[in-house]
Amino acid sequence: MHLTNDLIFQNLSEGIFVLDEAGTIQKCNAIATAITGYQNSEVENKPFETVGDGQDDPIKYRYELDQALQKKRLVVEGWKRRKDGTRYWAETCYSPIYDDDQKHSGYCVLLRDISERKQQQVDIRESEEHYRLMVEAIRDYSIFMLNPEGIVVTWNDGGALIHGYVESEIIGKHFSVFYPPSEQVAEKTERELRIAQENGSYREEGWRVKKGGSLFWANVVLTALFNNQNKLIGYSKVTRDLTDRLKSEEALRQSEARYRSLVEQVADYGIFMLDTKGRIVSWNEGAKRIKGYTAEDVIGKYFSIFYPEEDIVNGKPAWELKVARSSGKYEEEGWRLRKDGTRFWANVVITAVSDSEGRLAGFSKVTRDLTERKMNEQALQESSILYKRLADELSITNSELSEVNRELEQFTAIVSHDLKEPVRTVRSFLHLMDMHVNQQKYELLKPNIGKSIQAAQRMQELIDNLLDYSQISKVGLQQQELTVDDLIGEAMQNLTDAIAHSGAQISVASSVKSLYGDRLQLVQLFQNLLANAIKFTNGSAPRVDVRCWAENGHVRFVVEDNGIGISSQNLEKIFEIFRRLHFTSQYPGTGVGLAVCKKVVERHRGKIWAESEQGGGASFHIKLPSLIN
Amino acid sequence: MRTLKLAIVENDEDERFFMSEAFRASHEFEIIGEFGNGDQLTEWLQAAPKQLPELILSDLNMPGKNGYDIIDELKTTNPDILVFATSTSSVASTREKCIRAGARDFIAKPDIFVAYDSFVSEFYRLACRYFGC
Repeated sequence: MHLTNDLIFQNLSEGIFVLDEAGTIQKCNAIATAITGYQNSEVENKPFETVGDGQDDPIKYRYELDQALQKKRLVVEGWKRRKDGTRYWAETCYSPIYDDDQKHSGYCVLLRDISERKQQQVDIRESEEHYRLMVEAIRDYSIFMLNPEGIVVTWNDGGALIHGYVESEIIGKHFSVFYPPSEQVAEKTERELRIAQENGSYREEGWRVKKGGSLFWANVVLTALFNNQNKLIGYSKVTRDLTDRLKSEEALRQSEARYRSLVEQVADYGIFMLDTKGRIVSWNEGAKRIKGYTAEDVIGKYFSIFYPEEDIVNGKPAWELKVARSSGKYEEEGWRLRKDGTRFWANVVITAVSDSEGRLAGFSKVTRDLTERKMNEQALQESSILYKRLADELSITNSELSEVNRELEQFTAIVSHDLKEPVRTVRSFLHLMDMHVNQQKYELLKPNIGKSIQAAQRMQELIDNLLDYSQISKVGLQQQELTVDDLIGEAMQNLTDAIAHSGAQISVASSVKSLYGDRLQLVQLFQNLLANAIKFTNGSAPRVDVRCWAENGHVRFVVEDNGIGISSQNLEKIFEIFRRLHFTSQYPGTGVGLAVCKKVVERHRGKIWAESEQGGGASFHIKLPSLIN
Repeated sequence: MRTLKLAIVENDEDERFFMSEAFRASHEFEIIGEFGNGDQLTEWLQAAPKQLPELILSDLNMPGKNGYDIIDELKTTNPDILVFATSTSSVASTREKCIRAGARDFIAKPDIFVAYDSFVSEFYRLACRYFGC
């Protein structure tokens, strides 16, 4: 095959247009057709702007052609449109063509579609721009570049904030300006750069200087930067101001240290920490003092070592932790064990401790030894019980003494009045008789002797009754089961003669079978009541009703007669000793009977009272407890 | 010498007999009435007697209304009649109790009731404090 110029032209691997000297397209090759979409025939004899940017701008192309003619070569980049209207980024290279006579005869135009390359460039630029903007906008970190010699070549907002320099002040300066004077030695900065170069980076925390000289605690990362030929092109430096973090860390450390020493020195409270499983992780002086263990003895041990065996068997320690975990706190008082095995009474508070995320971190346990206080409380209670008992005893003794005193007074009154009276009467009559004998009036002796004997007899009765009366309170109270029938029966037996003599009718009706009490005294009680019922009549035959029934845990008696009755103002007086409502001549008696009744009933912790309507008989009511203590 | 109008309350008849004998013998008292106990006295007073006593000498221990009852009752029914108490008792508490109850005074009975002479003189002396004789 013969190589012709035209053949070569058509097969060139670049898009080629040949223009005449006026810029009119003479021909284009296949690649040019592939780029523009126009066939040779479509652009032949058309101006070059036909394959331009579609703006039909002959002035611009004329200018480019002139520039090419002047400079002998012109390369321009710009948008062009294909035949189908789509855009492409074109590199157009104009070269003037001269003929053999060096006469300008046209242009050779080389056209390249460089859209793809252009897009890559644009992308890179955009990404670099983003990155730059990002770095520059970061305020919490100072991020800047050093060249291989350590000179600052870029700056960001963080740098301005942390170091205090604005960009214009620092660009071009050596990075040693950031070091305190003591470290501004060449070796230091050079060493850092060398380490970064050898290891890829250098990290450090240390003091740095701000513009103006103030220090800050900095975290510094120096990273060596290499290009794709592995040649060192500089360093990036990232600096963070840790002063605040350091301050709060220091404050925390100090507060923790203070707290720890405080807790450790507390001697009255055992304060220690448990992990989540209940193992001891800290120990203080109080815990040592109360429980007898040193920190070495117990750290790491399960806290159940302080519990008595039965608590451990019952799973109490684990249960306490469970309660503390679920409700935040467990509190109790109970026995715990010391190292030597002795017990102490402890007040215990277990508190669940959570970390900042709210997870269980362990337990604090505060223990107080309340043994002494408990002992004191108990001793106090015991002594208070003792004193109370003593006071009660004293009170009882006092009331007993008062009673004895009252009885003594009463006895004094009885002796001075009632017993003295008959003695005086006897003595008086003896005097009278003496006078009569002296006067030889013997006929007068007889009645006076009779009166003397009467008085002496009366004195005897008084003394006997008084002894009976005083006997009631002196003899210990018997407590026997007695039937009502037997009691009344015996009383009536003792009064057989009087009943027969008076012709009395006595009826007994009881719904109570038996009661508890002192037989002798209760017989005396009913005997006296029945004797009175028979005695105080107005001549008609006495009728006496004795009734007995149970009522509200008591045994009730009524002894009712059809006698003379008792006026209302005397219903209480009749129970006083030696109190008589009638003259002895009318109704004989000493005035002791009802006083004895009252005393018997009171000794049985019961109550006695009289009811009467004038002239309508009298009834004596008795209320006795079913059981006497 | 002023003669005081007196009523005597004493349950023992023999005692009362010797007592009134001594009063009559002294001429210092005129006995308006003699009673065995308070009930009899009250009954007589309620019957509006022509003549009322200026003073009453009452025993303490008596059946029915006793001396204390009389002292108590006359404070309201006959406050103008002065009541003097008497008894075999010589203990101080008896005297105090009577005066506290409203009696003008208390005179212990003589050791034997045949020796009322000095008792009467003593009683007149005490009563004169109230009657200006």
